[in-house]
Amino acid sequence: MASATEKQETDRVREIGHDEYDPVGTAILIGIYFLILVLLWLFMYFVEFLGNGPTVVGALQPVLLGVGLA
Amino acid sequence: MAMRNAYVDQFPSEARLISAAFWSSFLALAIGGSLGLVQALHRTDYLRFIDSVDYYTVLTAHGVLLAITFTIFFLVGIFTWAVTTSLDRGLEDLRFSWAWYAMMVVGTVLVGVSILGGVVDSIDMQADVLFTFYAPLQAHPAFYVGLVLFVVGTWLAGADWFRTWWAWRGENPDERIPLPTFMTLTTTLFWYLCTLGVALSILVLLLPWSMGIVDSVNPLLSRTLFWYFGHAVVYFWLMPAYMMWYIMLPKLSGGKLFSDPLARVVFVLFLLLSTPTGIHHQYLDPGIAEGYKFIAMTNTMFLLLPSLLTAFTVVASMEHGARQRGGTGYLGWLKALPWRDPVFTGMALAGLMFAAAGFSGMINAGMNINYLVHNTWWIVGHFHLTVGTAVALTFMAAAYWFVPQVTGKQLWNRSLALGQVLLWFVGMTFMSNAMHRSGLFGMPRRTAEPQYQGFNFEPAAGTVGEINAQVALGAALLTIALALFLLNMVMTTIGGESDAIPDNTYAGTLSGPEDAPVVLDNLKLWTAIATVLVVFAYTLPLASIIDAGGLFGPGIEGFQLTIGIDPAIVLESVREVMP
Amino acid sequence: MRISPGALLVVIAVLVPFVVEFRTALSWFGVELSVLESVALAGVLVLGLLVWAMWPQNGGEMGSADSN
Ligand code: HEM
Ligand SMILES: [Cu+2]
Repeated sequence: MASATEKQETDRVREIGHDEYDPVGTAILIGIYFLILVLLWLFMYFVEFLGNGPTVVGALQPVLLGVGLA
Repeated sequence: MAMRNAYVDQFPSEARLISAAFWSSFLALAIGGSLGLVQALHRTDYLRFIDSVDYYTVLTAHGVLLAITFTIFFLVGIFTWAVTTSLDRGLEDLRFSWAWYAMMVVGTVLVGVSILGGVVDSIDMQADVLFTFYAPLQAHPAFYVGLVLFVVGTWLAGADWFRTWWAWRGENPDERIPLPTFMTLTTTLFWYLCTLGVALSILVLLLPWSMGIVDSVNPLLSRTLFWYFGHAVVYFWLMPAYMMWYIMLPKLSGGKLFSDPLARVVFVLFLLLSTPTGIHHQYLDPGIAEGYKFIAMTNTMFLLLPSLLTAFTVVASMEHGARQRGGTGYLGWLKALPWRDPVFTGMALAGLMFAAAGFSGMINAGMNINYLVHNTWWIVGHFHLTVGTAVALTFMAAAYWFVPQVTGKQLWNRSLALGQVLLWFVGMTFMSNAMHRSGLFGMPRRTAEPQYQGFNFEPAAGTVGEINAQVALGAALLTIALALFLLNMVMTTIGGESDAIPDNTYAGTLSGPEDAPVVLDNLKLWTAIATVLVVFAYTLPLASIIDAGGLFGPGIEGFQLTIGIDPAIVLESVREVMP
Repeated sequence: MRISPGALLVVIAVLVPFVVEFRTALSWFGVELSVLESVALAGVLVLGLLVWAMWPQNGGEMGSADSN
């Protein structure tokens, strides 16, 4: 219940309400995280596909063969 | 000095129960963690003082004690705290509560003793079946009975939390479910749903089979039922860590939870999606059609949604706190966070490692990329970031706050605690990085001696020796961190009472429950949808597995690893695979 | 100090994965750092960090930064 939610924190120098709060730093951090994910994903392409040759699953193979891709 | 208002002052009897649960959990952590060091040194050939034949016994103990005992004992403590604190009422009947706790303890002892039998001759049992315990590996019946008792204990604990909530609802019919209770209840619900699978697997297949009532089981069926539970259990560990991030981190950072409605959505999504994804652990199982695997993969990818929502909400709440503490700039606010506080820093670093694990998890989840890393040490590297750090480090950091709350004693040494969480982070960096990289060049997991005659691993970068050194270094740092944690807990507990314990509170919200659609609190609805999703994802695969192999399978005899391996059988099986 | 001692410790800890992963990443471009070189690199980074953190914060360039 509300009684147990935190009331006063000592190190607080200002109060920021819902409407004046704009989590721009969070957006930047998440953006950086996505960038890293994308880079790693590209990197994965080299490790997996150039390293070992593609692993094509099931019914896709005949299809690719059919159109001359594999 | 104002009146102290810690948890132990509000709920003294519940505090004792939670303390007991925590200590059970720490004991498991102490034993399991030490065995981790034994494994790491053995595999890398730095120190081999156990017989390689006993490796599976050690590995089983490590997996079971850490992934099941340590995590679950700790989380029943946290959930009990969450329900009682947020509803502001005690448990209905403490005798019932101690009964479920005792049941979990008895179950753990049975499991522990039967595993120990694998190395102690005077105990005539063995359970070298790993924490994944599916057929054809077979354990002594005591192991399965112990597991059943443990799980039923958690079911009763769940019932206890529900009872408390029902009683509260009777008196507060128009109020929204407080967030911590909401998180506990949704987690409990998917725990019921997923443990049904493992209960079936044990009671119908494994237990009768190990007692000799049936002489064979369908191994694929037992695997599938295990993984039906085995993915959701991951979220059972993770949800209490998420709860800490949602309701403790914002407070510790000096701010408020960014959004209560978003938090509710996340927990509802986990209730819906935790279970119908288990087949993603079986991408390489023959006997399950690719279409079903594809469905599991799709469900898994949907799980990225609540995880990313969490990343956003939690970081935004921390930023809110940092700015209220005077932080400024695009990223400069990071400096204003309370890095000196081990509770905060431990949880924040745990979250950071979880973000890293997000990437290796996406690799695991992709059906054809999974083939590259399946059953390699990559996987072990991955889950030491998730359960081994995101969960374990969050729990250890949480303990620095909770143990003073439930004992009324001040944390023995805060600086040591800060050093401890940093050391765990650094140690895990070394160990997990090396494990991931070994997986990429095909180093198998679950092997005592991963070196072979006439074959050399070819790391893409560095050498095997160097990677092994990194594993051993990481494991050593982790073990030191573990010892420091336990030391701090012991010294705190034997210390004297203190008046300087902070009040028992959790974070307020910027956008509260009044902004959340009421339908989010409709637990019956979400449970029904979750059940339907499970039925969709599992009916056909299970039917076709039973259709192909029967319930009791095509003559699968139990495999008991350490009860004297007959050399003739070994030779025979070697001949079978050699041309 | 430009940053609290606690935060400084955390930054040093978080540096570790960066150095470790940097080393792995470099080797993909054919640059192989030995263990000693990596440790030296980490040492230099930590030293730089310490210097930055300890450097007195004179009001000139950053304006009212020290009012935080
Ligand atoms: C002192 C810290 C730890 C060390 C040194 C350590 C070391 C290891 C090693 C070397 C393995 C791989 C064995 C193999 O594949 O042959 C392993 C497996 C495992 N670890 Fe840890 N670990 C630690 C902490 C943890 C924690 C905190 C958890 C969970 C909360 C955990 C859960 C597991 C699990 C579930 C396995 C897999 C067991 C299996 O394959 O059946 N570990 N650990
Ligand atoms: Cu999974």
